[in-house]
Amino acid sequence: MTWRRLPKIGRPDVVREAQEEIEHHLELRVQELVEKGVPLEQARAQAAQAFGDRRRVQSELVALDREMERRRRWTQWLGELGRDAVFGLRQWKRSPGFAVLALATLALGIGATTAIFSAVHAVLLRPLPFPQSDRIVLVTGWRLVGASDTSAGNFVDWRRNSKSFDPLIAIDWESFNIGGAAEPERVMGAKVSRGFFRLFGIPPALGRWLDDSEDVPGRERVVVLSDRFWRRRFAADRGILGRDILLNNVPHRVVGVMPPAFDFVADSEELWTPVAFTPEREAMHDEHYLTTMARLKDGVSLEQARSEMAIVAAQSRKDFPQENQALEIRIEPYAEWLFGPPRQRLTVWLGAVLGILLIACGNVGNLLLARGSARSSEAAIRAALGAGRRRLLRQLLTENVVLALGGAALGLLVAQVILRALRSSSWLGLPRLEQARLDLPTLLFAAALALVCSLLAGLLPAIRTARADLQTVLRNAARPGSSGIGRDRARQVLIGAEIALSLALLVVAGVFLRRAADLSKVDLGFEPRGVLTARLTLPADGYKEAEVVEAAFDRLVAEAAAIPGVSAAGVTSQVPMGPGGNSNGLVPEGRPRDIEHSIDSRLRLVTPGYFQAMGIPLRKGRLFDDRDRRGNLRVMVISESLAQAAYPGEDPLGKRMLCCEGNDDDPMWKTVVGVVADVRSRGPARDVQPEFYLPTAQAPRASWDWIQRTMTLAVRSSGADPASLATPVRLAASRVDPLLPLYGLATMEERRDRVLSETRFTTTLLTALGGLGLLLSAIGIYGVIAYFVAQRAPEIGVRIALGATTRDILLFVVRHSLAPVAGGLTVGILAAFAATRLLRSQLTGAEALPPSVLASGIGVLVLAAMAASLVPAMRALKVDPKQSLAG
Amino acid sequence: MADPGLEVMRGSLDVLILKALSFGPAHGYSVSRWIRHVTDEALQIEEGALYPALHRLERRRSVEADWGLSENNRKAKFYRLTPRGRRELTSETSAWLQFAQAVAKVLNATAGAGVEEAS
Repeated sequence: MTWRRLPKIGRPDVVREAQEEIEHHLELRVQELVEKGVPLEQARAQAAQAFGDRRRVQSELVALDREMERRRRWTQWLGELGRDAVFGLRQWKRSPGFAVLALATLALGIGATTAIFSAVHAVLLRPLPFPQSDRIVLVTGWRLVGASDTSAGNFVDWRRNSKSFDPLIAIDWESFNIGGAAEPERVMGAKVSRGFFRLFGIPPALGRWLDDSEDVPGRERVVVLSDRFWRRRFAADRGILGRDILLNNVPHRVVGVMPPAFDFVADSEELWTPVAFTPEREAMHDEHYLTTMARLKDGVSLEQARSEMAIVAAQSRKDFPQENQALEIRIEPYAEWLFGPPRQRLTVWLGAVLGILLIACGNVGNLLLARGSARSSEAAIRAALGAGRRRLLRQLLTENVVLALGGAALGLLVAQVILRALRSSSWLGLPRLEQARLDLPTLLFAAALALVCSLLAGLLPAIRTARADLQTVLRNAARPGSSGIGRDRARQVLIGAEIALSLALLVVAGVFLRRAADLSKVDLGFEPRGVLTARLTLPADGYKEAEVVEAAFDRLVAEAAAIPGVSAAGVTSQVPMGPGGNSNGLVPEGRPRDIEHSIDSRLRLVTPGYFQAMGIPLRKGRLFDDRDRRGNLRVMVISESLAQAAYPGEDPLGKRMLCCEGNDDDPMWKTVVGVVADVRSRGPARDVQPEFYLPTAQAPRASWDWIQRTMTLAVRSSGADPASLATPVRLAASRVDPLLPLYGLATMEERRDRVLSETRFTTTLLTALGGLGLLLSAIGIYGVIAYFVAQRAPEIGVRIALGATTRDILLFVVRHSLAPVAGGLTVGILAAFAATRLLRSQLTGAEALPPSVLASGIGVLVLAAMAASLVPAMRALKVDPKQSLAG
Repeated sequence: MADPGLEVMRGSLDVLILKALSFGPAHGYSVSRWIRHVTDEALQIEEGALYPALHRLERRRSVEADWGLSENNRKAKFYRLTPRGRRELTSETSAWLQFAQAVAKVLNATAGAGVEEAS
């Protein structure tokens, strides 16, 4: 009996083994019987009978052995992996400088990428918290001017005429004054039609949804609160159910509280109350103010709904040709509408960080190549001692995975820091960004990144090292300086790729920077410095008559103007870069009264002091004054672009226009008395719109309803920081009506910054990443040249001995970085063109790729490359020729 | 299969195998022969059933198997006890003995179940 293991060759054949074992048994059994004197034939039969069902036993054995074999191979693999990992760790401990450099590079790359991925995941990839959220659609009316809200009349018609949806609902976004014991407060809410909660399908946390029967005039004084509002205002008091709260001074019964999941977007509305259209409202088709949403019925496709709504739109156009001229109904998935714009921005960020990650991988790959040449002798010896190439390769790759996982672990710390900053950046306007976490998908992503990085950076070096052949290695060891030509080429290619990526990143950052600089120089048409603004809404209850509303706002302006340190004050229906406002069609006198001849223009109701407060310069004529009251001449002030559009080449002063009110019997002409500068109302990045101003004292009576009796107060500080006027301005408002809160306080500079903040963030991020990419590439070049110098030291020594000048030596060394830099730049220019083309939508109004930006990008990179190769080149000068000759 | 003796054997087969191997490594046939001899061929079991039992013991690491050369100089699979198998044998043996003693006590009892009522 021997216990020597028979050599295992490949996979054991479990079937044959089972057979052999059984045959062995039978043979010995027969032998035993024969020895007892049983005849052979009989012995065979007896043995077979005693054994039982041979086939069943055999198949049972095969099944058992297969399972064992699988398990054995798995444990063997894991064991080897563990040993490799431990070996890898020990290797890294032996070269700590290298490990630290590689870890830091990987941590930066993986960390930044993971953080941005986490944001992408939180904002874009997670489904909405509603059941079958892909069935929820946004139904939008489009007119000549573009997307527009829906009139109550159209909404009711659509709901009646369509069969594709259940339900089709309308939302009237409105802000409410919340009264009661606590400080009055202004919150965003929604008046919703029946079916609103059914559309989203999230059950209430407390109480119930609004009932369909409550969407009726006279029964609508009920309200459902958001979790956020319930916690903030009522300290999560469950007793709030059944109590009344004051909305715009009208008591509403609280019937339900929604769960936190319903606040799926930060800054979403905080309460819901029935919209309850009156029959008069349902007949109105000219006031567009509703958002319309729907859930597709089961079995109805988006296409089917679209074709049905095309017919419904045709009917609307036919029934109300004036109000619904050129009306189209578009239907798009809600998620698409919500996440479309963020997607673009996040894609840019993700692209930029992935660029950095690739550069980082390139650098680590370079480090590994350098280290690989040191390791190849070890590998060759191990191979000579019988280690398989594949086994060797696997071991080297495991080493890299250990390194990359370490980098990823550190990267998570980096990601955590970036995420904390991102989460608190609500001004970025990305829905759900505050929910970005290092959650399971993000962790898996980071781990996957680590694996990809270790392959990207490590596969080539590992293959080269594992392929090392003992003879070559030994030969090269004897003749230093002649090895690794191929390896060197690989390093140059890596450097070239890094340069290309860096250039693309730098140029894109440059384009954004250039645009930011351009934007800061744009003339806004007013003077944003020194202005504080705040909004005030008068409730319909108590402020029904136009005269009462006007008197109240006049009082507010007078109180504000009396504040010490205020040089001018006025109110407007829409402040530049602020919310609200509406547009009207204007028809100059003498032209037909139809849509074709009307000029779509933004209306601003203002008090006379507004122009001074905002610093809007007068170009021609006069501004409003006390003469402009009801009963006197109806006047208007228009912007330069409106003057240009309505009266090209003519003097607009004294001309009359039709707008906003009046009929054929009494057209209520408005006479142009002044022209003011164009104001960039949507921010410096957007086009100028034609605008016109009417004095509040002559406001069309209906217009107070259009703007929901909401005005923005603007006060100009005579010197001090305008933000310091906040408290006196609040006091001034409370003297007008102590129950009404002033809200939305912001200086004009804050408003401008808010509008620019999105682009500014992208610009800052890209600039930072561009700089990081540059730094990493420089380090990469430094590494390659330093390695070159170290390898060629003997040759350099000989050259010096033969009388090469300093300049010759520097050229010899620096020339080595020339090829990869030149190649990288060429590819990089192409990449930069491609990247800026892809980014066109992000850069409206900017030149696609200004040559100056491209040139400076190239210049910066070339300088960095030269600096990075000069440092090691200087070292080449210090090579001692005596040593080279002696060696 | 319907033989009740066989059913009992199935449960105890493992412990018999472990006992057989406790004297030293052996291949399947010698285990089967040993069991036959020790029980005086009183326990009628299909000899084939031994092998799945051996492989199951191998799977739960109570025995180890290796190919070696048998007495007739043929390739054969040899089994030997692992420390784990040895522990299993000890605990199984005492469990069996306890059980057997308990059953024996019951079978040797002199008083019937009605005793308590009568007293």
